[in-house]
Amino acid sequence: MEPQSDAGTAAQEPAISIVLTGRNDDHGVDFRTRFFRTLRFNAEQLTAYGIPHEFVFVEWAPPAQRPQLIDLVFDAVPGLDRGLCTWYVVDSRYHQALSLNPRLEYHEFIAKNVGVRRARGRFVLTSNCDVFLGRAVLDALAPGRLESRVVYRAQRYDLKETVGERRLEEAVGQRRLDETVGQQRVAWTDLEDPENLARPPRALKAPFLAGATGDFLLLDRESFHQVRGFNEIYRAARFGIDRNFLVKAISSGLSIVDIGGPVYHVDHAGSYHLAADAYAGRQHEAPWGNRDWHSRGVSYVNPPTWGLQHAPAQRVAPGHWFLDFSWDAVPPMVDLRGVVIPASRVGRPSPGRYAPPRSE
Amino acid sequence: MKRPPRILGLVPASGYDALEEQRAKAESRAGKLAQQLEEYRANSRVWKTKAEDALGELRKAQEATAAAQKQFRQIEKQRDEHSRNAQKLKEELDKVRRLQQERAAELADLKQRLAESERDLVIAREQLMAIEVKLDILEGAANVLDGRTRELLTRRSGLGTESGTAV
Repeated sequence: MEPQSDAGTAAQEPAISIVLTGRNDDHGVDFRTRFFRTLRFNAEQLTAYGIPHEFVFVEWAPPAQRPQLIDLVFDAVPGLDRGLCTWYVVDSRYHQALSLNPRLEYHEFIAKNVGVRRARGRFVLTSNCDVFLGRAVLDALAPGRLESRVVYRAQRYDLKETVGERRLEEAVGQRRLDETVGQQRVAWTDLEDPENLARPPRALKAPFLAGATGDFLLLDRESFHQVRGFNEIYRAARFGIDRNFLVKAISSGLSIVDIGGPVYHVDHAGSYHLAADAYAGRQHEAPWGNRDWHSRGVSYVNPPTWGLQHAPAQRVAPGHWFLDFSWDAVPPMVDLRGVVIPASRVGRPSPGRYAPPRSE
Repeated sequence: MKRPPRILGLVPASGYDALEEQRAKAESRAGKLAQQLEEYRANSRVWKTKAEDALGELRKAQEATAAAQKQFRQIEKQRDEHSRNAQKLKEELDKVRRLQQERAAELADLKQRLAESERDLVIAREQLMAIEVKLDILEGAANVLDGRTRELLTRRSGLGTESGTAV
């Protein structure tokens, strides 16, 4: 059965699909709390701004011994409209079948491809579960303001780990965090207070406007399909796949622009930003793979079945799908013809230059 | 008795007076002449000094003329030398120009070869990146397959041990 979003009919196609991926594995410590409070905030703001949207959530290879997020989310975020959510739970066997690096714990971008492939919005935003949309971003998402064949990027403002905790304490007193999943709230004043910045934001530098790229990539759905999503050929690292998408985008003739305002991210234990140094000198052991691979210098051609097109979909409930395992959906382990040199276009920036691996 | 005083050596008063007047005039004239003579002598000394000065100047001018002539000869000599040098330099310049033209031609050729080499280098680096990425993929695949094979063999080995089947 071909899965389809339940978020409206074809005539009511949402203006924007927000593709997220995650699972109940305590990634980055207390993932659920961070996810639910972010989801609550973004859902409320999208509704307040009157933006027709859907959330496409891909729960990638969920651990068998824990409840799935789909079973928790609507209790944790009571205001969340089920009709605006489509949930894909992906059989955990795909993770092993796709792996080219056993240390990788999560194929984040293949998971996002699963969502992008099945998203229905005219525009598709791939983001992360703990990224708050800013006001300028919400303004730009209003129908009619976005252009096709343009990759929109947003600067990320990292906030201190304590942001939001005060409100939670006020709300629930001394109760344990586990009992308060979803109750934590973040307000604009928390996000926009310069005192809460963990560090000066990194500027987006042309031409790629890279930097925390995975936190905000917005493109029209048709173009996303034309470039066939994120790289599924190189599956030995998670780091740099988002930047590699920008190389592919420019090579494909798309433009990259700054949407005009930031998104916000609250620091947490396990953030790449905070954990990168823990693997200095033993990069090969890092759970994100080799960060020195040539993500800026090569492009890719995914198979036409990208995003697990042939994964058998079982409808569990309205808006809730399970993608069962099938080898038919698994791309070849090795597809070297899919590694290509990015095209250099007249008037466009040159593709990345060769950079020898850093000596640790 | 018209001329008796003359006989007696006497002169008439009128003659005396005339003679006295002539004498006074003569004395006055002699005084003037003496004064003029003194003036002439003084002028003569001045002119003599001037003449001596002029002679000194003349000597100096003659010496300067001689020095100038000597310098002129030296300058002429230097001019000739410079002409010779200029000729040599011109010849050198012509030689350098020829070499420069040859070098310019070589430089243009080298620039073209450099541009070609840079293009080749860029292409080689791009190919190198692609190859390294492909090697990463192959290495990853080999490691995964190795792990799966070991796991499979271990499982078979375990089963074989239980069943007594050799692996």
